[in-house]
Amino acid sequence: MQFTWLNLAIIVFLAAGTLLGAMPLIGATLLAPRSRAKDLGLPYECGIPPHGAARVRFGINYYFYALLFLAFDVDVLYLFPVAAFYPASPGWAVFWELMIFIGILALAVIYFWRKGVFTWPRKVTF
Amino acid sequence: MAAKSDLLKQTEAHIDPPILNIKPVQQILDLCRSMSFWPMTFGLACCAIEMMAVGMARFDIARFGAEAFRPSPRQSDLLIVAGTVSKKMAPAVVRLYEQMPAPKWVMALGNCAISGGPFYFEGQYGIVAGVDKIIPVDVYVPGCPPRPEGLLEGIFELQKKLTGRRWWPESREDKSA
Repeated sequence: MQFTWLNLAIIVFLAAGTLLGAMPLIGATLLAPRSRAKDLGLPYECGIPPHGAARVRFGINYYFYALLFLAFDVDVLYLFPVAAFYPASPGWAVFWELMIFIGILALAVIYFWRKGVFTWPRKVTF
Repeated sequence: MAAKSDLLKQTEAHIDPPILNIKPVQQILDLCRSMSFWPMTFGLACCAIEMMAVGMARFDIARFGAEAFRPSPRQSDLLIVAGTVSKKMAPAVVRLYEQMPAPKWVMALGNCAISGGPFYFEGQYGIVAGVDKIIPVDVYVPGCPPRPEGLLEGIFELQKKLTGRRWWPESREDKSA
């Protein structure tokens, strides 16, 4: 590979960018006084000590929403480029590939149907 | 009685000097710091109303570089204790002070923050007799409440403490006296 002025410019810009990002951090570390305190590392909660863990449980319903979104919405999204290409496609190969794709996604829909998700049961009791 | 006052935990915050402690550099930095305080939005009682007024157009703390009131101690370097510190609030005050990064300064605004003010009398049980009982205070601004100009004077005093001189003209009354 030939080393050109363009390569040099890229390297110079990378170095300058890194330096611009690093200099304030290094400067602050060297020039600012440091505070040591027991509660310095505590999560900020308006001066009140936080209680409970950050990893909490939430409703499984959101999981269903996410998978249904995949099965219906993202599914259709991926069909747009296929639809654009389809008239120009040779033979039946593309058709069968499309059928496999839709078939797998249909399995997800059937799975939810069998699980009774489409009756929208209330999973959480208040 | 001594056992009761032990409930008031003093801060254990300790500020280490900078690694590169070059005096002229620190003087320039102190000048920059003093002209751009970032006070914490921290009102405890009626003095906070004066603190709000000082941020507004009539008194306009922005003229002196301290208008960036931050809602988090992580981003602020000036804790204006504006109001009465109750014993219930005292641990939160200490915690917020400790959560501020260095360098940091504290202004006790008003009589309550200085000494407990009118709420501190014999036999009372709920009020801290001055915020300097729990955190180190740099500037005391007396008044009940202090006028917004008083808060500005407090800022000037803090600037004087950092840079060694007053940067703004004295008021006319001070000159005649």
